[in-house]
Amino acid sequence: MSAIAAEPTLRPATPRSAQLRRFARRNPTIVAGGAILGLIALLAILAPLFAGDAVTMHPALRLRPPSAEDWLGTDHLGRDVFARTIYGARVSLIVGMSVAAMSITVGLVIGLLAGYFRKVEAVVMRLMDGLMAIPAILLAIALVALTRASVSTVIIAITIPEIPRVVRLVRAVVLSVREAPYVEAAIAGGTPTWKILIRHILPSTIAPLIVQATYICASAILIEAALSFLGAGTPPEIPTWGNMIAQSRLFLSRAPWTIFAPGIALALVVLAVNLLGDGLRDRLDPRLARRM
Amino acid sequence: MLAYITRRLASTVLVMGIVAVFIFLLLHLSPGDPAAIIAGDNATTEQIDAIRRHLGLDDALPVQFYRWLGAVLQGDLGISIFSNEPVAKLIGQRIEPTLSLALTTLFVAVSLAVTFGVLAAWKVGTWIDRALMVVSVIGFSVPVFVVGYMLIYVFSINLRWLPVQGYTPIAQGLGPWIEHLILPSIALGLAYVALIARITRTAMLDVLAEDYIRTARAKGVATSSMLLKHALKNAGVPIITVIGIGIALLIGGVVITETVFNIPGVGRLVVDAISKRDYPIIQGVILIFSGVYVLVNLAVDMSYTLLDPRIRY
Amino acid sequence: MTTTRRGVLAGGLAALASTSAPAMIPARAAPPAARTVKAVMHADLRVLDPIWTTANISAYHGAMIYDTLFGLDENFNPQPQMVGKWGLSDDKLTYTFELRDGLKFSDGAAVTAADCVASVRRWAARSGGGQTMMKRVKDTPVVDDKTFKIVLSEPYALVIDTLSTISTSLCYMMRRKDAETDPNQQIRETIGSGPFLYNRDETRPGNRHVYDRNPNYVPRAETPSAMSGGKVVKLDRVTFENIADEQTALSALQAGEIDFYEVPPQDLVDDLKKDPNLTVQVLNKTGHVALMRLNQLYPPFNNPAACQAMLYLVKQDDIMRAIFGQSKSWQACDSFFACGTPMTNHENTDWFRHGQDIGKAKELFAKAGYDGKPVVVLQATDHYLANPAGLFAAQWLRQAGINVDLAAMDWGALLSRRAVKKPPAEGGWNIFSTTVTGITFSDPIQFTGQAANGDKAWFGWPTNALQETLREQWATAPTLQARQEVAKEMQKNAWDFVPHLVLGQFFRSSAWRRNITGVIGMPEVVGFWNMEKAA
Repeated sequence: MSAIAAEPTLRPATPRSAQLRRFARRNPTIVAGGAILGLIALLAILAPLFAGDAVTMHPALRLRPPSAEDWLGTDHLGRDVFARTIYGARVSLIVGMSVAAMSITVGLVIGLLAGYFRKVEAVVMRLMDGLMAIPAILLAIALVALTRASVSTVIIAITIPEIPRVVRLVRAVVLSVREAPYVEAAIAGGTPTWKILIRHILPSTIAPLIVQATYICASAILIEAALSFLGAGTPPEIPTWGNMIAQSRLFLSRAPWTIFAPGIALALVVLAVNLLGDGLRDRLDPRLARRM
Repeated sequence: MLAYITRRLASTVLVMGIVAVFIFLLLHLSPGDPAAIIAGDNATTEQIDAIRRHLGLDDALPVQFYRWLGAVLQGDLGISIFSNEPVAKLIGQRIEPTLSLALTTLFVAVSLAVTFGVLAAWKVGTWIDRALMVVSVIGFSVPVFVVGYMLIYVFSINLRWLPVQGYTPIAQGLGPWIEHLILPSIALGLAYVALIARITRTAMLDVLAEDYIRTARAKGVATSSMLLKHALKNAGVPIITVIGIGIALLIGGVVITETVFNIPGVGRLVVDAISKRDYPIIQGVILIFSGVYVLVNLAVDMSYTLLDPRIRY
Repeated sequence: MTTTRRGVLAGGLAALASTSAPAMIPARAAPPAARTVKAVMHADLRVLDPIWTTANISAYHGAMIYDTLFGLDENFNPQPQMVGKWGLSDDKLTYTFELRDGLKFSDGAAVTAADCVASVRRWAARSGGGQTMMKRVKDTPVVDDKTFKIVLSEPYALVIDTLSTISTSLCYMMRRKDAETDPNQQIRETIGSGPFLYNRDETRPGNRHVYDRNPNYVPRAETPSAMSGGKVVKLDRVTFENIADEQTALSALQAGEIDFYEVPPQDLVDDLKKDPNLTVQVLNKTGHVALMRLNQLYPPFNNPAACQAMLYLVKQDDIMRAIFGQSKSWQACDSFFACGTPMTNHENTDWFRHGQDIGKAKELFAKAGYDGKPVVVLQATDHYLANPAGLFAAQWLRQAGINVDLAAMDWGALLSRRAVKKPPAEGGWNIFSTTVTGITFSDPIQFTGQAANGDKAWFGWPTNALQETLREQWATAPTLQARQEVAKEMQKNAWDFVPHLVLGQFFRSSAWRRNITGVIGMPEVVGFWNMEKAA
């Protein structure tokens, strides 16, 4: 995010509120996406203060419609849908952000090395092609089915197939920057390789990676939902929007509230993350889309 | 060009080798035992052990891998542990439904997305532009299975226009074939509209800014024909790239859609195989999926040269 | 559709093919939809050998294409099925069986006594009841093409009951060359002498299994009753469709794309009953029992006090209501045998009358010396019972101050994991839940879960000498009444060492289109004979 923050300081000083207003007017998508996400993240963090019990089952109170006691009704095991939706935000956001963070970090390191060192490249890129060629959902189903369902298994399973995509992106950036005169000058000047990588090459990957991260985050949240639908997602005890929708799908006509609450939350967050991503892309690198 | 294709094909073999080893290790090193699933609920530990021995699952891992690889190299994907049928035959039975679904989905997604993208680029900055992009993102944000259920509820149960589920081979008539694919391809296609539309829009904007388009405009070439002829052709390269990525995603999405609409495709086959630990089928399908993926990407790269003569290999 | 050139060409080719090679016209061309029943069963049929696997769906498949020597009628009395005449010698040691006339396998060969002897022997290696019987069988001589004997070393009253068992694996008659396959290996052929033929050409494993009427089948003259009587087929074709998603299968039934749905989502049964196009009925009157199994090899459940504590923790109403909603399709059951079966009794069931008593459970766990180690509960997220049962087990245990490791996995992984004898912390387990049909649950020799012979017992591996003695006594008891007396003793003892707990007894409804009639109810199998479909 430093890239965004850094730019306005170059401009002549204006009152902060005016700056903000101008930023919002010029970047409506970033602001809208960021605001929605921020609000949901806040609710998720503060969940223990107000959401109530999301785990305890009360079969006698199952499938109750929304009421003053249960704001969003109860599900087929008599659990509070409101509490589960709020707590679900935690897991869904954690899954989305962890997958984004892990795949970006690992992909960045591999991509830098592969892009810079020609010898590494051949081997690594074939390995990455191999990983990329395994359909993400199938790998995730297999990993979760074959090991054990847990939030971390789900995160790992979704992360692995994302890594090659990040590696390709980073490598493409590195290859283009490597030929730039200032890098060649640094190489000729005898700057140590690690310094070149960190000082000259790393910074130019940041903008495209931030944008990529938002898309990975959005798709991770959706893949988690898909895995739950196939019975290979997060354990049913832990509320996520994905497994709430998946477990309630039989009640679509009888108890629609069990699906609508997590469904709307899911769509809203994915939408917000996408808006943020689009806004960042337009701002940071309008031509990035071509390389996606 | 030819040398390039040869090199790519050679690396395809390497990629598939990596995939083969990876999948084999993943399956065989993790818990889960087809023998226990075969023996059933009322069986005892002894009976499970006996079945496992007979299936050769007690052999050392390298022995099992060597056996499998040896067969695969001779073009034999093995025999399903459960149904006793050759894996190649089982996959063969499932390819047509999956291919049909993938192609109709691609058609739905691309035709919608390119229309959206071109329109949005043409009306850039207006409410039409924003609305189209938001609609396409919403399509991406709702899980495929939820869209699927809604479509079934409206068009199959209430209106009774289309069948709920199933698949009819194209050999039994174009009508029934299409009928069974309309809802699934819409449900799955919507997820890819956003991705492709966004790229189309950006690519179109870049092209629209080029000098020769401005010239064409200045010369008074009719707007619609200009958009289609000049711009879209030149925007083709990035669009094709995205479609290439889309196919990889599609292979994953097909699994869910096949489940919701009960289409007996390769996706169902492998999900079932995973749930019963039918190793030969899982290995075979993933091997073939990865082969398809690599070849599609090769085809995508090749099509660049057709669309953009400046690109040469 | 308009005629296209390709269409004309295809038509011409077809005509050419039919004139030049009349024999090639498939003998089993797809019958009209009116005489085809499309059914969605409770599971996908994966294994075609009903002896190799104990899976119920494979027993269904067996009932389609194979026949049995004896079959149970709806009152659980064995009736001769393939057997025409039979007799028992005066010393009660020799059974003689003579097959009915005209029995044929679908490959055209006559069914012989040698086929039957080989089939009985292969089945007996798998079936719990078969094993118990074989301990007393000295010889199974073939007398002639139609006659064979079972010669015992001591009198055994349950021979006919065992041969007619409806609990998996059922005693299906196969060709000798198939029946000589090792029981631990799958047979390759699907040739039987049952009411239907398995149509391999049109079958697509994982998608659709196709059964056609067996024109050579000779039904008995009696009216059909469960697995006995005349299995008269009134349809041309039955298909088992594999629709993995419940919601989709339900929609397909409502839209008339399928005709029969064995286990629709039970929560929605009340809604289905309102649909004028559907008939909704319970076919299996003894229902299913949900049970929770305890691993008695490791703490805390290697101590009977901890097992008894579980009796006070389980609240059957909670689990049943979670699965079946408000419908009255379940009951709580206190018996070690399914309620409503001949062996049911109410010995030693004080714990049941008190209902859930967390304080008592805590007390018993303390008595068992519970040390705070997490109890590993296996939860199968894709199983209608093992999913909520895992959640509730965890909730109850936590309420009693027990640490829980709720291990979520798919059903396939649960089946594998429960067979692991290692300690819970090293990939083993403490608790899993499953279901079994009421009739099987109540049978001390057929249900492997009744054994308490340690390593050889069902998962959980309980050891209890008294239970083993009583099972032996039950098997050798001469009359039903004597067996009921033994059953009381068994239950008295069982609720002290607690090999498993009852989570409830339930009766699942099936649903079919109104134009289907003549559906036969029976305990463990759904038969498609006698079924009719109006246009």
